[in-house]
Amino acid sequence: MTLVQLERRAARGAESASLEQGMNFAAVLAESRGEAHPLPAPPAWESPPADLAERAHRALYEVSDPEFPISLVDLGLIYDVAADESTGGVTVSLTFTATACPCTDFIKWDVRERLLAEPGIDTVEIEVVWDPPWSTARVTERGRGILERAGIALIT
Amino acid sequence: MRFTDEELMRKVQEGFIVESEADMTETYKKALITQLTVQGDTELMSAPAYFMAAKDAPSTNTMVSATAIIQDEMGHANIAYRLLEDLGVDRDELLYERPAKKFKNPYGFDQPLVNWAELVTANGLYDRAGITLLGDVHRHTSYGPLKRGLVKVGMEENFHLRHGEVWMRRLCEAGGEAREMVQHSVDWMFPMGVEWFGMPDEKKHHNAQLDFKLKGMTNDQLRQTWLKAVVPLCDELSIDVPAHVKPDTEEVELEFEFPVQYDPGAKRWLFDEPITWDEVWDRWRARGPMNEQFVDWMRVSRYSVEGLLEA
Repeated sequence: MTLVQLERRAARGAESASLEQGMNFAAVLAESRGEAHPLPAPPAWESPPADLAERAHRALYEVSDPEFPISLVDLGLIYDVAADESTGGVTVSLTFTATACPCTDFIKWDVRERLLAEPGIDTVEIEVVWDPPWSTARVTERGRGILERAGIALIT
Repeated sequence: MRFTDEELMRKVQEGFIVESEADMTETYKKALITQLTVQGDTELMSAPAYFMAAKDAPSTNTMVSATAIIQDEMGHANIAYRLLEDLGVDRDELLYERPAKKFKNPYGFDQPLVNWAELVTANGLYDRAGITLLGDVHRHTSYGPLKRGLVKVGMEENFHLRHGEVWMRRLCEAGGEAREMVQHSVDWMFPMGVEWFGMPDEKKHHNAQLDFKLKGMTNDQLRQTWLKAVVPLCDELSIDVPAHVKPDTEEVELEFEFPVQYDPGAKRWLFDEPITWDEVWDRWRARGPMNEQFVDWMRVSRYSVEGLLEA
């Protein structure tokens, strides 16, 4: 709903198996409570993060969009992550998929909560950016795969 | 008809997916129509109930979240009614001509929601009931078009549930009157949720929905799934509920004689007044206080605007 340009793929027959896998109903039922989204694991990093900013950016792969099982990074919402190693302050520039996004508070709470759980991060500033605006072109290649497995195709 | 009831029952139990009316029997079609009507009516009538309380949203941003949820619910209703149309049901008749009393939404959505705490508690408890029921349908249904239609519903319902649980937690952490409002909401909505899942299995002997795999779990199994989510949540928030998790089995046990009578005017359950399921059905059929008004809200603008267009 927030992603007005996203539309459910008309999946039939053989595709229902992949629908089942991507479905988060099942996960909700299985775990009686807790994580509503079975967010895919973050990418397998080949090297440790170079600095605090990179570590913070990687942590955001663990923050899910409130509606779709995709990380904020893969959805293309994160524009920049800056960090001051000496103060432990992190500034995240991010956008939303629409100005009328119903989940802005939830996304900000989740970003803040995840980053503050990271050792060495003491303060989190969130800067909301509207220019350039989000579009489906900002969804990562990995993100496209994740959405497809969840039964959602991007309209470009 | 390609199959007899017995043949179709056997086939769907073996994994056959029904795609069109040609694959159905009359009994299957009738059970499916009933199920989809309950589903559509429940989604639709949640909208006026949520709308009534969304007016109490504490900020523009939270109002956007609440109205987005309402819009989602209308969309979910549309999916169910759209599927009904494919089965030859007249949507216009269903929505605009059916008497309000004939809507098949649960009794809980015939009740007024009057403040933000009631809205978010409804998201936390009732949307959890919706996810429990529809999640089971999604996993097990033998009707292909419904299985596919429920993907979008599931993702959006997750947000509604999260909205409910996060806000219940925020209000409880604030303490004082905010916490009391959540407690009061849970007091009347929790038994409503227990009743949501219908008659206990021991009283229900035959079930076409299970025989034809229109759902997978029994009423009591679904009720238990819901309880196992809601009771630990309330425990964590230190909100009292008349139920507890049994430590040895992790099953939830109710602490009242179920079912009991409800006083809708006082929004109070009469725990010392156990009733029979016939009496529950009588109360449901008599409908709750907002039934007519909620159906009216859904219809009124159509008639008034149509009148303007014709003038």
